[in-house]
Amino acid sequence: MNKKVIIFGIIVAIVGIGILGSYSFSPNETVNLDMGRTHGDVSTAMGSPILGDPSAPITIVEFGDYQCHACYNWFHTHKPVIYENYIATGKANLIFIDLAFLGRDSPIAAQASYCAEDQGMYWEYHDLLYNSQESQIDNGWANSERLKAFAFNLGLEMTLFESCLDSDKYSKRVQYNVSEAKKHGARATPTFIIVGPDNQQEQFQGGQPYTTFKQIMDNMI
Amino acid sequence: MFEILKTVFSNFRYSQLAIVIFVSMLIGLLYLSEFLFFDPFIAGHIPVGTEFGFSLIVILSGLSGLVLPMNVYRINILKNSKGKIGGSVFGSFIGAAAGACSCGPIGFAIISTFGSVGATSMAFLTNYEIPIRLAAIGLLALTYYTTVKSLKIECKLKPQ
Repeated sequence: MNKKVIIFGIIVAIVGIGILGSYSFSPNETVNLDMGRTHGDVSTAMGSPILGDPSAPITIVEFGDYQCHACYNWFHTHKPVIYENYIATGKANLIFIDLAFLGRDSPIAAQASYCAEDQGMYWEYHDLLYNSQESQIDNGWANSERLKAFAFNLGLEMTLFESCLDSDKYSKRVQYNVSEAKKHGARATPTFIIVGPDNQQEQFQGGQPYTTFKQIMDNMI
Repeated sequence: MFEILKTVFSNFRYSQLAIVIFVSMLIGLLYLSEFLFFDPFIAGHIPVGTEFGFSLIVILSGLSGLVLPMNVYRINILKNSKGKIGGSVFGSFIGAAAGACSCGPIGFAIISTFGSVGATSMAFLTNYEIPIRLAAIGLLALTYYTTVKSLKIECKLKPQ
């Protein structure tokens, strides 16, 4: 009788440890995507999380590539002013959709940004990529090892991040975004679609100056 | 040197050609390199850190506007040295190709059509944009120098 109790106890203990172990070490890689999310006629479901107030009357959809110099210039020169005057004030929000076509490291960098999103750090990682961009395409600045190093620098949980990136978990998501960009006629990076409160849309390409955005958005509000 | 310039550009046709080449190259290259936009509004900007690239475009356009009409002059007036126009056209073309930023529609079209080969060539043009433009400027400057030098000799031999 005692033997049976001991064996049963051991089995229960092993199963319990197994359950606890699997709970502790399995990657927490669930994503809550709103598959119906659209802005104007753009499906933004697979794009970035919304930067700014989701209920803002205007949405800026940016189609970009992390290796694109024009995107880098826009990020550093004009985006801060747009953020300050429109996004931080609740007049507009921004969604980034990958048009990752410039080089072999472009899609991997885009996937890495969604691995960072799993840990609630999409925009921090996005900003870090644009702050770390180097002048040469595919020179290794955005290869898998560097992307992991960026994640480490941001303090992300590395086991989760590495398993996400190495498994190509977001490969299809990036492909979907590229096809969505092409579907909307994006032929350069960055391309912008500004969606107004009545779903009116203005599309243009290039890292255009703040004045262009201001003129369009002021007309929409 | 100024006498040669005066001789060529005192003819209204050549000064007009120079202006057309300069303006069209400048606008084209500024548009390709995303310094200038036409849609939805006409807008221009020089992002921080791109001032050198902008200056090279102005120099390249200026040299093309100077050298190409001088070589057309050689062919038309002196009926000579067709070979030298090759250098100026080549220099202008190479300089312009370097400006076809791979982020732009030309790069997108090339990469979409030719796949990884297109991506590699566009990456090369983008990565070495500044050295390529400098080389194009060097080629145009050399063509300018040899053109002026030979025009001096030829104009002495065949006074107009």
